[in-house]
Amino acid sequence: MRRRLGIGFWLAVGWIGVVLLAALLADLLPLYRYDETLAGPPQTGPSWEHPLGTDGLGRDVLSRIVYGARVSLGVGVGAVLLGLLIGAPLGILAGYRRRAADAIIMAVNDVALAFPALVFALAVVAFAGASLRNVLIVLAVLGVPAWVRLVRGATLSFAEREFVLAARVLGTRDRRILWREIVPNVAMPAASYAFIGMAVVVVAEGSLAFLGLSVQAPTPTWGGLINEGRTLMETAPHVVLVPSVVMFLTVLSFNLVGDRLRALTDVRESGLEPVRQVTVSPMPVAEHQVRDTLLQAEDVRTHFVTPRGLVKAVDGVSFTLERGRTLAIVGESGSGKSMLIRSILGLLPGSAVRGGKVYLSGEDLTARTPAEMRSVLGPRLGTVFQDPMTALNPVRTIGTQVTEPLRVHLGLGRKEARAEAVRLLASVGIPDPVRMLGRYPHQLSGGMRQRVTIAMALSCGPDVLFADEPTTALDVTIQDQVLRLLHRLREEHHMAVVLVSHDLSVVARWADEVIVMYAGKVVERGPAAEVFRRPRMPYTQALLQAAPRLSDPVHHRLREIPGRPPDLVDLPPGCSFRPRCAYARDRCGQEAPPLVNGSGHQYACWYPRPIETAIAEGAESSGR
Amino acid sequence: MAGSGKAHLRPRDEVLLRVEDLVVEFPAGRGRTVRAVSGVSFDLARGETLGIVGESGCGKSSAARALVQLPPPRSGSVRLDGRELTTLRGEALRRTRRQLQMIFQDPISSLNPRRRVREIVGEGPRVWNLPGDRVDEVLEAVGLDPATAAVRRPHEFSGGQCQRISIARALILDPEVVICDEPVSALDVSVQAQILGLLEDLKARYRLTLVFIAHDLAVVKNVSDRIMVMYLGKVCELAPSADLISRPAHPYTRALIASIPDGGLDLPPSDTLISGEPPSPVDPPSGCRFRTRCPRARERCAAEEPQIRQVGEDHWLACHFPALPDPEPPVEDSNKE
Repeated sequence: MRRRLGIGFWLAVGWIGVVLLAALLADLLPLYRYDETLAGPPQTGPSWEHPLGTDGLGRDVLSRIVYGARVSLGVGVGAVLLGLLIGAPLGILAGYRRRAADAIIMAVNDVALAFPALVFALAVVAFAGASLRNVLIVLAVLGVPAWVRLVRGATLSFAEREFVLAARVLGTRDRRILWREIVPNVAMPAASYAFIGMAVVVVAEGSLAFLGLSVQAPTPTWGGLINEGRTLMETAPHVVLVPSVVMFLTVLSFNLVGDRLRALTDVRESGLEPVRQVTVSPMPVAEHQVRDTLLQAEDVRTHFVTPRGLVKAVDGVSFTLERGRTLAIVGESGSGKSMLIRSILGLLPGSAVRGGKVYLSGEDLTARTPAEMRSVLGPRLGTVFQDPMTALNPVRTIGTQVTEPLRVHLGLGRKEARAEAVRLLASVGIPDPVRMLGRYPHQLSGGMRQRVTIAMALSCGPDVLFADEPTTALDVTIQDQVLRLLHRLREEHHMAVVLVSHDLSVVARWADEVIVMYAGKVVERGPAAEVFRRPRMPYTQALLQAAPRLSDPVHHRLREIPGRPPDLVDLPPGCSFRPRCAYARDRCGQEAPPLVNGSGHQYACWYPRPIETAIAEGAESSGR
Repeated sequence: MAGSGKAHLRPRDEVLLRVEDLVVEFPAGRGRTVRAVSGVSFDLARGETLGIVGESGCGKSSAARALVQLPPPRSGSVRLDGRELTTLRGEALRRTRRQLQMIFQDPISSLNPRRRVREIVGEGPRVWNLPGDRVDEVLEAVGLDPATAAVRRPHEFSGGQCQRISIARALILDPEVVICDEPVSALDVSVQAQILGLLEDLKARYRLTLVFIAHDLAVVKNVSDRIMVMYLGKVCELAPSADLISRPAHPYTRALIASIPDGGLDLPPSDTLISGEPPSPVDPPSGCRFRTRCPRARERCAAEEPQIRQVGEDHWLACHFPALPDPEPPVEDSNKE
């Protein structure tokens, strides 16, 4: 907690605490009276007797600052709490009840927000008299619309979460749902906003006081002190500087605390959250031979330095790929399959440390800078990702997005690019491609969007197409269409395809070769039919038996893999799969098994499943 | 498919849950309406698992929420153990909630991040003023260690474990029917197998009746006694699981099975069984709603909505021109207009 909030946060909290305490305990502190004139010689600088000097009337500035804090902070905290007290229930009501309550509250709120706030404050204070109470109420009321809006937004976002629905299904009454399910979740963003609000109110009160519209003299307020000191700027600058600095630090502290609290609610906890970059010495690459092949990955490693420790997301993966072949990379979440292809493409977050080599037709891609990679991504390496919506720009038409790579990479003119785009869209099975050019991504279905991203990936005629879970977000009938399309395009363009998927049945049907990953390492690889028919590594075998198949009988008991995937920060010694493996023995806990070669079908296991039982138990698994 | 009709419903005294002519609609802005569920009927016998399968937009989740009256359906009837739920409001409706529980798709989002597991699971008994001493028992039943798990918060658990907590929360009230809305689709294969196995165990242990909703036909087949296939708010086909998979008669069911890479059946490739994309539920096609993607569609499909009729033992379907195994032409006028 402490580390995530940072030292600045605690300094800010400390400052607010000191000022607050001083204001509360002002009467007990050994201070001069704030209104005692000629407590010392007027306009003198800091001295032992008067640590912050004296003002024009010889009053002690420290004392006046401390008593001024009573007004400034009192108004700041008081107005925010009062605004919260009025605004939060309205916001929760609007966000939770919706419909009429929401419409009325928000309509009134919008009108209130349209009021020129400071003018309103000036008018009210001028009319009703400048007293602490009036200033506080005016500033509180001015803050209400913003509170309503914030709390309503937060409530809305939680009221639609499934845990609220679950509470209603349990039969929980509305009031209890509000208090137990919604309020605790809204509290954090509200607390963050409260601090920022306090900063705003302290400044607002300062402005009013500066204009003489806050608490009247002799009661000091920070804004008032600055105003008084103004005339002494040349003879005794400390009189104006000190309250200014105090106010500045206080406002800064409130904002800082508010900001950090908000960051705390925004950041999702995850072991992979990159926090700071630590320079790690480059990883050595084992001796290897650059082969005459389209794509060669040699000992690819991707590590992340996280606050919890070193995460080896990809740990030594090698493969080669020829034209006209599909290589599938399968594994469960956290196995490193997506990180592997991002690593190959050089699309990693800044906190990643990359090792190993990637060769495209014998040329080392890892030696290229990100700028140099750009000329390869697109023209030679095409990419299709899981969520087509994130790959497409929502505010640009399909036409501009498909023609852009054609014009940039291939240098086509506007007309040619357009004609080529139409041809491409037609080739991925989009009906009426000319009309499609003028449409926006949100107007298309998920399947159509994925077809568009495939068309874009193909636009510059890549040698290798990387498809990362290309159909996971799609319906099953659409999924089949898209996979057929990818397969057909591979033939037509004579490309190689790298298909990343968690779905074994998809892989079994469309891949030539398969790599099974677990905890960042390759645990089994080989020709797809071979691996699925005769899995040797217990994990592959268990994974195949864990997936339900249509050919299984009803109520068929699936194979359960006990436990869960390992924590990448804290991998077990030896084989990573050992804790979940039914066949593990002593050796598995001591030495990590290497990938052993056996007629193109390799597996990393000390005690591989015998071929006969593998056939018996896993026979139907490939089921082409 | 389009299917409407109630011919497939069993006698009232044999079923625990009976849903008739369920209609769920939402406003879609500019005066338009999303027709999420349009006249769906089904029933559940005690101890049975009914699988509901279909693609996104078929109305399966909307139907599930209409069952628990959140929100109540536009029209239709939901009878649980003989009691009509759709007409109940407020406290009377709340009183029925113990009998009908639900498990959701997103294991993270279905747990309040600010509460501890003991509070989350113990919420049901607290709301109903029941002794909370069963929390440990149900946590153990779902495979969590009460001693370590109960004091922690949801973010300390994996997706699969969160789903176990959700199941424990639903089970602690001893519900009659548990509606599982895509309970395993957010999980990895190995975890999915654990949760499916757990549901089967709990079903036997607590004598549960389940509605199991999913888009993955293989998963649904694994746990269901009967499967109902939905498309665009309508029922296509309803049959015992094995029968539905081995003898699919509705063109959409066949396309769905053929789309699964290891269908293992002698069906033609899926692209010859289905084409194009699903139409918008805001403006569904006339007649049979599947006709715009169906290679077998003819004029009659646009003009007339097929009614659910029996084509085999406990095998029901709504189609004018189904792919029935026997050569004799479908009895076209067996149902009234």
